[in-house]
Amino acid sequence: MKDARRPAIYRYAFLTRASHWLWALAFVVLVGSGLQIFNASPNLDASDKSDPARRVLAIGAPSQGVGTTTIFGRRYVTTGWLGWTNDGMGGNGAHAFPATITIPGFQDLAGGRRWHFFFAWIALLCWLAWLISAAIKGSLRDMILRPSDLPKLWPMQAYYLKLRKTPPPHGVYNPLQKASYTGVLFVIAPLVVLTGLALSPGIDAIANPLTILFGGRQFARLWHFAGMLLLLAFFAIHTFQVATQGVVNQMRSMITGWYQPE
Amino acid sequence: MKRRLFIASTVSALAGCGPLTSGLSQNDGFRKVLASVEPIDHHLIGTRGLAREYSEGDADRIFRVNGFATPSDAAYTKLVADDFATYRLVVDGAVARPHAFRLGQLRRMPQQTQITRHDCVEGWSAIGKWSGVRLGELLDAVGPRDDARYVVFRCMDNDGSGNLYYESLDLHQSYHPQALLALRLTDAPLDPDHGAPVRLRVPTQLGYKSAKWIAHIEVVGSFARIASGQGGYWEDQGYEWYAGI
Repeated sequence: MKDARRPAIYRYAFLTRASHWLWALAFVVLVGSGLQIFNASPNLDASDKSDPARRVLAIGAPSQGVGTTTIFGRRYVTTGWLGWTNDGMGGNGAHAFPATITIPGFQDLAGGRRWHFFFAWIALLCWLAWLISAAIKGSLRDMILRPSDLPKLWPMQAYYLKLRKTPPPHGVYNPLQKASYTGVLFVIAPLVVLTGLALSPGIDAIANPLTILFGGRQFARLWHFAGMLLLLAFFAIHTFQVATQGVVNQMRSMITGWYQPE
Repeated sequence: MKRRLFIASTVSALAGCGPLTSGLSQNDGFRKVLASVEPIDHHLIGTRGLAREYSEGDADRIFRVNGFATPSDAAYTKLVADDFATYRLVVDGAVARPHAFRLGQLRRMPQQTQITRHDCVEGWSAIGKWSGVRLGELLDAVGPRDDARYVVFRCMDNDGSGNLYYESLDLHQSYHPQALLALRLTDAPLDPDHGAPVRLRVPTQLGYKSAKWIAHIEVVGSFARIASGQGGYWEDQGYEWYAGI
């Protein structure tokens, strides 16, 4: 069997691997510290100033020992998961997101902000370094979704769902991969960066149109949160695919660069 | 098996974030590393922009109380009872003409009105209509000396542990056209919860810069020897001195 193997290929350059893992670390830290920051004011309003009449999400503890999550006015009891949760000090308390998943793992807005703003730089610099190198090498061209890819999206999905025997013809990346890479790297990631910037009073003062573009400061906070959820969704699908498509081979290629074709 | 193991380890890695980072977060060296981006952010964003000014209709009719509520100190309670008749705003330090301003004097100086948004570090925002004296105008009246670098605001509220609230701005921020010593909110004199009789408004930075119940403005060369040396009550507890983000 071993003799039938094709030679391993060097699939990922050092910069790609380094930025991938650094980005993964930064993403986890940004989500955890972002939830810490969210906890200080666990509401999201579709407005400029805070406005309960335009509240989209509210996580709270209306009474001792009860946690609730209110989405578009519909209230759900989420005790133990959201609203009334682990406080990181050995008990439970009025914490929107539990301290087990916030950074740091106890209520500390100042600390959460420090982590968030440091790793925001790491994530941004990773993205820029990767983008520049991908543009120079030309691999960026293979990843961008083009109008001609659109008709192939469903056939590709049908292939994944085993409704079709063969994938539609495509280049290095299939149309669904191109759609998700383009969406994450060039739509959602920039959205998250720009909405994060729009939250800052100093940036609002020098670039007010940015804040207005997103519907105001609180609305930018809502987009920032929604962008985080979309990135988490990508993270979940991505992790699932790695886990189900030869996890050892996939992990090795992203660590050493070498991929072993079947 | 491998798949399950992988998913389980991914999920537990995420769920372990809190406990894993708590220790690091309390390490002084690590905190310095995290804080290293603050001067970069300050340099890039600065404080040169003008905060958006809103119209009357945008302002909250009841402005949310930020920070602490009315100080319970006996001295402050007495000032409120006297309607601030004995209140003096002392402005001294590295200035040519130190002065103790009566409230009436401040009211007779040129007044600026701004309808600006207050952005709390916690994440909420409110819009208020503020009137008062431009901080730069007051500083011109006392004449900062050449060794002046920072303006320190000392307040009348303590946190119950004896720490008085204080804040600081550099001279550049103090002369920002919207840096205001507010005397009025929503067309009425400030009430005690909102910082009566004098509070700061710095709409280009987070709300904790906008100190309430100011009793003393001290112009200094450095704030390193004041309280814990970070330039403000919240700064001493780990918040950024540059509150533009």
